[in-house]
Amino acid sequence: MSTVIFESASIEHLKDETPQRPWRKKPTKFTVSVFLAVVVPGVIVAWLFYSSMLPGAIIAVVIYLPLQLFAAGLAALINRGRRSIADSFIIVLSTGATVFTLVILISLIGSLVVRGFRALSPHFLYQNSVYINPSTPLEYGGIGHAMIGTLLILTIASLIAVPIGIATAVYITEVRGRAVAYVRFFVQSMSGVPSVVAGLFILTIAVSTGAFNQSAFAGGLAYAILMLPTVARTAEEVLKLVPEDLRTGALALGSTRARTVLMVVLPAARTGIITAILLGIARVIGETAPLLLAAGNNDGTVTNPFGQAVSSIPVYIFNNVALPYPDAVTRAWGSALVLMIFVAVLFTLARVLGRGKVGKY
Amino acid sequence: MNPEEGETVSTTNYEEIATLKDRVPVPVDSAELAMKAQDVSVWFGKRKILEGVYMDFPRNSCTALIGPSGCGKSTFIRTLNRLHELLPGAALAGSVLYEGTDIYDPEIDPVNIRLKIGMVFQKPNPFPSMTIRGNVLSGLKLSGMKRENHDQIVEETLTSVGLWNEVKDRLDHAGGELSGGQQQRLVIARSLAVQPHVLLMDEPCSALDPASTLKIEETIRELSRTVTIIIVTHNMQQAVRVSDYTAFFLAAENEPGHVVEQGQTTEIFSNPQDQRTLDYVNGRFG
Repeated sequence: MSTVIFESASIEHLKDETPQRPWRKKPTKFTVSVFLAVVVPGVIVAWLFYSSMLPGAIIAVVIYLPLQLFAAGLAALINRGRRSIADSFIIVLSTGATVFTLVILISLIGSLVVRGFRALSPHFLYQNSVYINPSTPLEYGGIGHAMIGTLLILTIASLIAVPIGIATAVYITEVRGRAVAYVRFFVQSMSGVPSVVAGLFILTIAVSTGAFNQSAFAGGLAYAILMLPTVARTAEEVLKLVPEDLRTGALALGSTRARTVLMVVLPAARTGIITAILLGIARVIGETAPLLLAAGNNDGTVTNPFGQAVSSIPVYIFNNVALPYPDAVTRAWGSALVLMIFVAVLFTLARVLGRGKVGKY
Repeated sequence: MNPEEGETVSTTNYEEIATLKDRVPVPVDSAELAMKAQDVSVWFGKRKILEGVYMDFPRNSCTALIGPSGCGKSTFIRTLNRLHELLPGAALAGSVLYEGTDIYDPEIDPVNIRLKIGMVFQKPNPFPSMTIRGNVLSGLKLSGMKRENHDQIVEETLTSVGLWNEVKDRLDHAGGELSGGQQQRLVIARSLAVQPHVLLMDEPCSALDPASTLKIEETIRELSRTVTIIIVTHNMQQAVRVSDYTAFFLAAENEPGHVVEQGQTTEIFSNPQDQRTLDYVNGRFG
């Protein structure tokens, strides 16, 4: 048991007043070779792209990627030896995959904006399509009725699917009853139900039998079938992450299991639960088939969720996008853009509201 | 060398430490019992963890459970407030009496048992969704217990664990913001707020600095005038400082743990009857 005594003098010597990041300093050889490894393949590929007839996608995948891997591997070999080649490959491949995803996302949003932006105007957001036919110019009409319809249907679907989904997750992770394996199996199977089947199911059992009309409620039921497994599975995964210590801690204070779940476990998993709900909404928001069957279509504004067929953004897009009238097609793209913005706003809102603030108790 | 293992110094004079205490415990057989374990054996699945434990816990006293890791001490105290049964594969034989009633009687609601017999765990587990104040009062909310004067409860319990001065200006901050040692003192305060009759403590100080440890030990001494405390500890000086009675657990390799020796703390540490106890308390193994 030896004690090390630092000499104060040597501590003084080590002291450096300005904050530094020594791990960022790189030898010149390193900087130059990495710079070349990044630039050279890029220049070669740019030259090929402009001088040859090869399509861009082929150049990117067949020529650029191997070339970049080789260059990065070479730079790694020169600087850090053989073992770092794998590191450089990982960097190239993961960056490449990220860029690829971003390119797809940006071009998707870009094409929506390019084709649909012309349709956007204040009246596009609040007018309905009662007196509109496909050849009506863009100065008239809008998708207000479809937005209201989509909101109604999403609200109804969430009111049904979110409580049941969370309750299912609680059954699996907290109640841990005998039927857990079966419940999980059925939820899993349910997530494989094609959306058109959900629509058909509601059409058959509710609409055809005369129990309901085609309506926002029937559409919400069809959406709920699709949302439920996503909410339940995600909420289950999230609840599993809540440390067992918290449950035991609550029980050791004389808590019932119900109070443990409601006051400790669910609040601890709050942001995750919100994610589960958002994923459930994201799962259904663009689904068209179930609404075509269960909710129908309507050019007018409908606010009664039970009475009559109702329009929705996906169905509006479906009905307009293939028409031989340019303005109708522009409207379809415009409403697709509105749907995207709607999702973005909804998700941002939910994230802001759900930010991990600590409650009063 | 880990300061927690300070007990390995074989020259420790336990009698001297014990004289610092302010009272002399009565012999177990003439004391009124808060709890009693009768022939308790514990299994996880097919594996037997603990065998044939008989133990008496006199009311308003402190009992320390000592012994090397893996000898079943923690498992044993979890059987005393019915937390053991929550683990998968858990099984139990024998009976545990609380104030003369078998807590494993089918008529008994474990929720009521755990309300009377609280527990503090080795790892701090404040509720992350609650504030510091909310954590202290969480037991009242969770158990539905009615107590007046919440502000006073918060101040009293936090003071008794030596946390009040550190947190009094930020009671509405998240409990998870505190350091590990502060969190541990917070959860001890939380378990005190529901006024348990028996408090089980599973190595409550293993994550604490010496000053906090001292504060907690004072709290344990103070509490054990009115509450029955059962504490698992690896720190033998702590056992001597806080406990009236001590039980020494031991498990041979691949065999269930059992109690080698139990009795008044001063006896166990200064005059053990079993050679293994003597070796253990003098740091020769474990």
